[in-house]
This record gives sequence, C-alpha cells and structure tokens, in this order.
Amino acid sequence: MTTSAVQSLSPTAARKRRQRKARAYAWRYALIAAALIFFSFPAFWIATIAFKSSSEYFRNPPVWIPANPNIVQNLDKVIRTGGLTAIGNSLIVTVSATAIALVVGTLAAYSLARFNTGGNNFAFWILSQRFLPPVSVVFPVFLLFRALRWVDTFHGLIVLYATFSLPFVVWMMRSYIREVPIEVEESAQVDGASRLRTIISITLPLASPGLIATGIFTFIFNWNEFLFALVLSRTNVITYPVKLTSYFGPESAFWGEAATVSLIATLPVVIATLLMQRYLATGLTLGAVK
Amino acid sequence: MNAMKRRFAIAIFGAITIVAAACAVPPAAPPPAAEATRPADPVGKIEGQAEQVAAAAVMTAMPPKPGGSAARAIELAKKYAGVTLNVTWEAGLQSQDPLLFSAPEFERLTGVKINVIETPFTELFSKAVADHQAGGGAYDVLNFAPTWLADLADGGVLEPLDAYIEQHMDKNDLSDLHPTYAKYQQWKGKTYGLWDDGDVFVMYYRRDWFEDAKNKGDFKAKYNRELAPPKTWQEWDEVCSFFTERGKANNEYGCAIQRTAGNTYLWFYEQFRSNGGRFFDADMKAAINSDIGVKTLTDMVNANKHMPPGIEKWGFVEVLQAWMDGKLGMIITWPPIGRWSEGYGLESKQLEWVPKTNVAGKVGYAVSPGGHSELAVGFMLGVSSNSKNKEAAYAFIQWLTSPEVSGQRVKIPFALRDPYRMSHFNDPEYAKLWPNASEYLKVLQEGAATGLADLGIPGAREYEEALDRAITAAYAGTDPKAALDKAAEEWNAITERIGVESQKAAYADWQKRLGANAYP
Amino acid sequence: MTLQHRARNKRNGGKYALVAPATLMILCIALFPLLYAIVVSFQNIDARTPVGAFVGFKNYFDALRDARFWNALGNTALIVAVCVTAELVLGFILAQTLVSHLPGKRFITPLLILPVVIAPLIVGYTWRMLWDTQYGPINQVLGWITGRPVEIVWLANPVKVWPAIFITEVWQWTPFMFLVLLAGLAAINPEYREAAEIDGASSWQVLRFVTLPLVWPVMAVAILFRALDAFKVFDIVFALTNGGPGTMTETVSLYAYSVGFRNFRISYMAALTLILIAIVSVAITVLWRRMSANQERRA
Repeated sequence: MTTSAVQSLSPTAARKRRQRKARAYAWRYALIAAALIFFSFPAFWIATIAFKSSSEYFRNPPVWIPANPNIVQNLDKVIRTGGLTAIGNSLIVTVSATAIALVVGTLAAYSLARFNTGGNNFAFWILSQRFLPPVSVVFPVFLLFRALRWVDTFHGLIVLYATFSLPFVVWMMRSYIREVPIEVEESAQVDGASRLRTIISITLPLASPGLIATGIFTFIFNWNEFLFALVLSRTNVITYPVKLTSYFGPESAFWGEAATVSLIATLPVVIATLLMQRYLATGLTLGAVK
Repeated sequence: MNAMKRRFAIAIFGAITIVAAACAVPPAAPPPAAEATRPADPVGKIEGQAEQVAAAAVMTAMPPKPGGSAARAIELAKKYAGVTLNVTWEAGLQSQDPLLFSAPEFERLTGVKINVIETPFTELFSKAVADHQAGGGAYDVLNFAPTWLADLADGGVLEPLDAYIEQHMDKNDLSDLHPTYAKYQQWKGKTYGLWDDGDVFVMYYRRDWFEDAKNKGDFKAKYNRELAPPKTWQEWDEVCSFFTERGKANNEYGCAIQRTAGNTYLWFYEQFRSNGGRFFDADMKAAINSDIGVKTLTDMVNANKHMPPGIEKWGFVEVLQAWMDGKLGMIITWPPIGRWSEGYGLESKQLEWVPKTNVAGKVGYAVSPGGHSELAVGFMLGVSSNSKNKEAAYAFIQWLTSPEVSGQRVKIPFALRDPYRMSHFNDPEYAKLWPNASEYLKVLQEGAATGLADLGIPGAREYEEALDRAITAAYAGTDPKAALDKAAEEWNAITERIGVESQKAAYADWQKRLGANAYP
Repeated sequence: MTLQHRARNKRNGGKYALVAPATLMILCIALFPLLYAIVVSFQNIDARTPVGAFVGFKNYFDALRDARFWNALGNTALIVAVCVTAELVLGFILAQTLVSHLPGKRFITPLLILPVVIAPLIVGYTWRMLWDTQYGPINQVLGWITGRPVEIVWLANPVKVWPAIFITEVWQWTPFMFLVLLAGLAAINPEYREAAEIDGASSWQVLRFVTLPLVWPVMAVAILFRALDAFKVFDIVFALTNGGPGTMTETVSLYAYSVGFRNFRISYMAALTLILIAIVSVAITVLWRRMSANQERRA
C-alpha cells in the first residue's frame, strides 16, 4: 500500500520539483540579466562616446551606435591635449608608490604577524589611517609639502601615495604572512639564515600570491586617487584624473576626449580585476572578510 | 599547492604585462574599415589648411615694425635664449593659441622656450595663489581674469610691470588699447598686467528669422510692434517666447544663454546693472538682494522657460552646438561665435570639434538688451613675482600683446583672443574675413565702449562664487529673494573678513577707475 | 602561543626595526601635519594673512554656526543613509541569487563587480553624460517607456538631483556589498539551512532566523566600511554636480575642499578638518571593535 503510493506519486512530485527548480532558475537568470545590463551599460556608453565625433554625442535623440566608429579622432585630441602624458604621470606615481608601500609595508606586516609588535592598539592605529577622510588629510599634508617644497613633485606624490597605502598593505600582508607556517622559517633560521634573509627567501615566496594581490589592489587604489592629486598638482605631475577635470567646466564639455581617457585608464584596471577576482572581497575589506 | 599558487601569480603578471602593452598600441592604429569610410577630408589636408590659415595670418604682419614693442621684446628675450618659461593658460581650446602659434613662434624668434601649462579656468586663480603660498616658482607668466587683479596684486603673486613698460614698451601701444580695456591694468597706482582679450558679451541673432515676412506679420499681430532685435529685457523675453512657440516642435528655440554653474553670475551682473542695480550700498553692505536684484533674478528664472529643456546645465559648448545647428534665434555670449558662425577657420584641425555651421550669412549682431554688454571675464597676462626669469617673462607678454602679434592672434581661427586694440577694431584685413565682419567689429567696439566691467575688488572670486550659487539655486526653484538674501549675507561675511574699510576703499577705487564701465 | 613564539624566536630584537620605516612614514606624512593643523586651526591664516595670529576657538565656533557646513553634513548623512541601505539590500539580493549553484556563475560574478575598481571620478563623469537632459540615454529610454519625449533636468533640480546621485553611487558600490556578502553567505554551512528546512521553516523564516544571523558579522563590517567610505564621498559628486544647484548637494568633503583650496581660508579649513576627524574617529572605533570580534571568532 505505502510503497505503491510512493511509486505512483513520485513522478509527479519529481516533475513538480523540476518545474519549481526551472522557475527558480528563470527568476534568478532574469534578475541577473537585469543586473548585468544595469552594471555594464555605463561602460558601453562611455565606449561608444570614445568612438563618436562631437556632432554625434551632442545629438538629440542620442545616437547609440556611432555611424563611423572611429577612436582615432578622439585619441588624437587626447594626445594633443596631454591626456596620454597624464596617464604616463599616473603610471610613474602609481608604480613607484606601490613598490615602496609593498616593501615598507610587508616588513612591518611581518613584524606584526610574527611578534604582534606594539599589540593590537598599534595595528589599529595603522588601520585608522585608512579611514580618515582624504579631505581632512590632504590639508595638513598640503601645509607640510608647502614647507618642504614638495608640492607638484613626483617624489611628493609618490611618498604621499605610498604612506596612505601602508595601512592596506600592512593589514593584508599581516594576514597572509600569518598563514605561512612558522616552522618553515624556524628551520631556515636553524640553518643560520638572518631574519631578513629568511623573510626574503622563505616567507615571501610562500606568501607571494597574497603579495601580488596586495600589490595589484594598491596599484588600483592609487591609480584611481583624485583628491590628493587635485590639490598637489600644478604643472609637472598632472595625473589622469586631474586631467579629466580639464575636459569639463562651464565653458567646456569635451565628452569625446574625456571618454577616451577614461577608457584607456580603466581598461588595465578592469583586466587586473578580472584576474584577481577571487581576492577582491578580501582586498576591499582589508582582510576583515575572507 | 604553493607551486600552483606561484604559477598562478606568474600567469597574472604575464597577462597584465601583455594586456598593458596591448592597450598601449592598438588604439593608435586606426581600424582600416573606419579609415576607408571616412569622409573625403583626410586629417593631413585639414592640418595643411590650418597651417595655411595660420601662416597667412603670420605672414601678413611679419616682420615686426623696427623699434616697436614686438621687435624690442624679441631683442630683450634673445638674452635669455635657452631659458624655459612656464606659462599658464586656460585648458582646452584657449591653449591652442600658445601651443600652436605663440610658443613655437616666440621660440623660433628668440630661443626662449615656452612651456604651456593648461589649467581649468577657475584653477588659473587658485593654483597661482597656492603656488605663491607654497613658495612659488612653478609659473613665470600668469594668465588671469581682470577681476582677480586686486587679489593677485595684494597677495604679492604678481610683479609690478611699470619699470619694464617704461624701459621696453613703445608708449604708443598703450594708447592703442581701447580706452575701456586700458582702465583695467592698474591696481593701487601700479601696473600688474597687460590686457589680452576683448571678451565682451554680444547678442547674436538670426537675421533670417527676424526678416521673415510671416514672422514679422505674426509678431506684429501678437505684440502690436515690429519684430526687431530686442532693446530691452522685456522685449528679449517676448521675442524669445515668440520664436520658441513657433519652432519648438522642430526643436527650435527663441533664445539660449548658458546657465550652468560657474559663470552664470556674469549674465546677472549685466542685466542687474542695466536695470539700475548696484553691488553695494554706501556702508558697503551687499545690495544684490535689492528689489532690482530680485526682479533681475526672477526675470532670469522666468526666461529659462522659453529656452531649451535642460538649459540649467548648458555651458558654452552646448549653446554653441545648438546655435551652429541653427536651432536658436538669439544668444548672448563671447566673441568667437561671431567668427565661427560664418565658418571662418572652421576647417582648421583645432576647431574640428566646433560643429559645422548652418547659420553662415544669417547672423546679425547687437549690444545686449538694456544697452550694455558685460565685459565678461577677459584675460590679462602678468609676471609671477616668484619667477626666476621675470625679464624674459615680461618680454614674452609684451610680444604677445603688441599690436602686430595680437593683431595676428585675434584673427587666427583657433586662437580665442578677440579684438581689444583700436588697431584691431580698425583692421581692414579683419573686416574682410566675411561679408559683414565690419559690422561685427563695430558692435564689439560699441560693446567695449558701453560695456560693464566685472566687479574687480579683493575677494572677487568669492563674491562671484556666492552669487553664482544663489543663481543656480534659484534656477532650481529656490525663491529668488531668499536665494539673493543668502548670497548677500555671504557677501557681507566676505567683506567683513577682508575688512569693511579696506573693501570700501577698494570699491570706491574700482568705481572711480572704471567710471561709466562700472555703472552706466 | 605568543610566549612559545618568543621562546623559539630568540632573535626577535629586529621586530622594531621592521616596523620603523612604516611607522616613520605615517608619523611624518600623516600625523605630524595633523598636529600642525591643530595649531593652525587656532589662528586666522587666509590668502591675505599668510602669518596668522592666535584667535582661540573662533574658527570652531564659526564652524558650528556655519549653515553651509551643517547643510553639507546633512547632505553627506543623507547620501550615507540612503546609499548604504540601498547597496546593502541590492547587494544582498544579488548575493542570494548567486550564492548557490548556477550555470555560468563563473562568468557572471566578475562582470558584476567591475564598477568597484573604476575610478569614482570616471564613474561620476560617465553618469553625468548618462543623465544629460538632451544628449543622455536615460531620458531617451524613459521616453520609450512612457511613449512621449522626456525632458527631465536631472542634475539641476533640487529633487531629481538626488536620485541621480544615489543611483550613481549605488551603481559603483552595490557590487562591493554583493561581493562581501557573497563571501559571507558562501561561508555558511548549508547544513544549518537544510536542518531548518527539514523542520518545516518557510524560506522567509530561514532567511530571517538562520541566514541573516549567521551572515550578520560580515554584513556589519561591510556596512561600516561602506558608511565610512560614503562619508568621504567627493569624486562622484564633484563630477556630477560639484555640489550644485547652489549648495543643495554639497558634501562635507566638497565644502572643506572649497574653503581650503578655492578660497584659501586656511585656518578655517583646519578647524573643519579636525571636526571631521573627530566624527570619523567615533565610527572607526566602532568598526575596530567589530573587526577584532570577527577575528577572535575566526581564530
């Protein structure tokens, strides 16, 4: 009796379950499709503007696909107005600052991870720098740089970016180094290797995926930085976000140039992110969420 | 596991390097298909034409008159051959003049290199001040708006030029300046800058719309007077709404004035004083919230109704685009539009972003309604007090503003400097640039003579910003009276911070110096 | 544990040397100038007064009476409240949608998170083009939906400017919430949920009494991170409206910037700066408690 009931019911139940599952999939895909359109549309639009001429982006109703897609005209104007130079400046500042922050930050992180140097309060103090509003930080820095004559210099901006990358680097590397088994280091030290030697040849290679992730994030954060650069650049060190502002104003609305610079500046960051996505949550929350 | 992680990391680095390298290359190479479908004006040809135009402008006036300011400046600068001067210039189109013409030409003549530093307009002021406060030296030549002169001079940012002028300039060139512009160059008895741009708002209108028989008939039937370029703001409003009603379905509007934040206060300055308004009362209390002020702002807000939708965010470029498309009946804006409307120089590569003109031969010019045009912003050139090569910097600006060189610059299509010397207004070559160019020069000159100067006392930028915020708030629906009351409060706070007595003196000085160009 | 380490690492004298460079940099570049700013905030330095005199707490009192400062604080609080909430809700829905098995997930997730890494300034300018009354596609699409031309002036209307700012900010940062919550949800042992389902709990009950409590520690950290970052908002508003119309969308960062670097009221800006730091410090302390609690739990 019981068995026959089960046997007669189960095909219907299975079909129902399958239907429910299919409906759930459909809902989820619909939601995701909407989200994908929402989150990718601005990128699409900026890309089309980069390929449009001014008569096309100032058109009512707006044109979605340019008739003669051509980025050369805008790229040419970007080069002529110093847009590529600005991207070059950004590259110099960002790469240097990232390198310095990685070296200095990793050493400190090692000390914090292995010896809990300064205790939790010290770690917190370092972390707190990450959360100060940049506008409150940049002002004292401006006063200092004014005194040092570091305004509008590469080294000024590099040191500033490196310093404000430190909290991130220290916190990330601290957690990555903690994951390296201490026994490996100890065996090296037994063999007579110095502390620094151990860090360089044993710990860092083992923590290298973390180091690379940290490096790329530091690069991205510095690459996108705007306020410090806006305040501290004059003539020599105009980074690309500062350059972007010159394409917009009461008298100018150079969408084509702005879109082209945006596109060039965003592409590498986007590709790096796609490669780094599994570290992204960790990176964005300083390791508070894994 | 770790080996895998390492390989993963190496792969990432490799990929990024490749991508970065790839990103650097392909955009520069045009896709062949796009190249093939381009219209028949390849880049090279346009460039060639631009050079021809520029060259033509250069050739006609070269070589400079011996013993004139230009020739003497060249001699003076030759002593500094090899030196590099950092020169600020408004970013974008404005900078095409020094980048393509003035700087290379000066270097060719003197061996002095000019490094053009493109800076957004408002930053021209703040960066100059910030640099001076930071110890200076970043800039040699400063490009600035005349209203900032008081602040820049008082702040010690600018070098007094009297000694240089005395020693190196042909004094006739001072009297060649239009009398209005000549009034600006001094502050507290010293000369701090050389005038370099006749930026006067002029009304541009569509002659063909005004002359159209049907329009004339309809207008007369409705308003019981002839359809004509407006002489008062009331008339402006009527004409504007008339054309807008007629053409709105075709995306045509009677008028447009740029209303976006930043410079919208200039149109208030103009209309407010044409209506009889005063900036301050006898006690140096702000008077912009007077009845005249409230009426002016209310009228401005109401005028937006007849302008294109979204006008509140329109800047210069948006107005230009619609005007050149032939969608607007009247605009009030800066001079280059007169040249561009006729298509003069639009084939040059630097102006390729300027829309093709549909209005050539259809444009008339007049002084703004109310009879006074704003002498809006303008540019002056000065020498930074922190410059290490002041004499060379001075030589450069004397050369730039000399009658010969400035006479070329106001005609170069991509240079945005406009007539400011009597020799410019009377230039027979300019008058031949397009059929009614002489009419244009006449209106620009009339605009200069009857024009109203921007408020030029210490703190000018702060006053302007406060007023500008009030105006954009009113466009967004804030009650004009309330908005202006708030601005007046801010003005009083600025005055008090700088010092009521010293501001009173500065304001009196400004009125005395500018005379009828301060208040009609 | 620590004692054991100490015993094993005999040569740990270098531990201070290792943190010295980082500490020195932070001290010199971040902390020392801050002390200097405190001094400046009690003076009256501005563009016309390069050498200031002592004025006591005048700048602080002025700040407390400054309507524009309060307006900016209010605007900032509004942005934080609305955006962080919206980002949390949307991020959670997306994370729930993607946490369990779904074909194609591997390709979808990376596409959804891209906005997070794009420069906020670029995001601001991009959306400024999208919101444009005549030349932007948003009004155009709304026109298609409603069937007649839409001419909304998004960025110069005191009411409509807010959705424009919110949506832009939410566009950039929802992926952050999504990503963090996805990690949080993925870490929940599915057995808890299954157990609840077997007990007959509805899906709402499972969410309310199982999922949310378990994901809450991660969620709390994400909220605090976002709130602290949203409080700093500068780039996006700078590009979209620059605080306009009037000062209707001005944030504290924009206001402080304009006081200090447009009008050069240096001492006054120093006072504003220190007030901001005081406000943020409180929030950071809360965040710190959260994070240490999380870490202890994990350890």
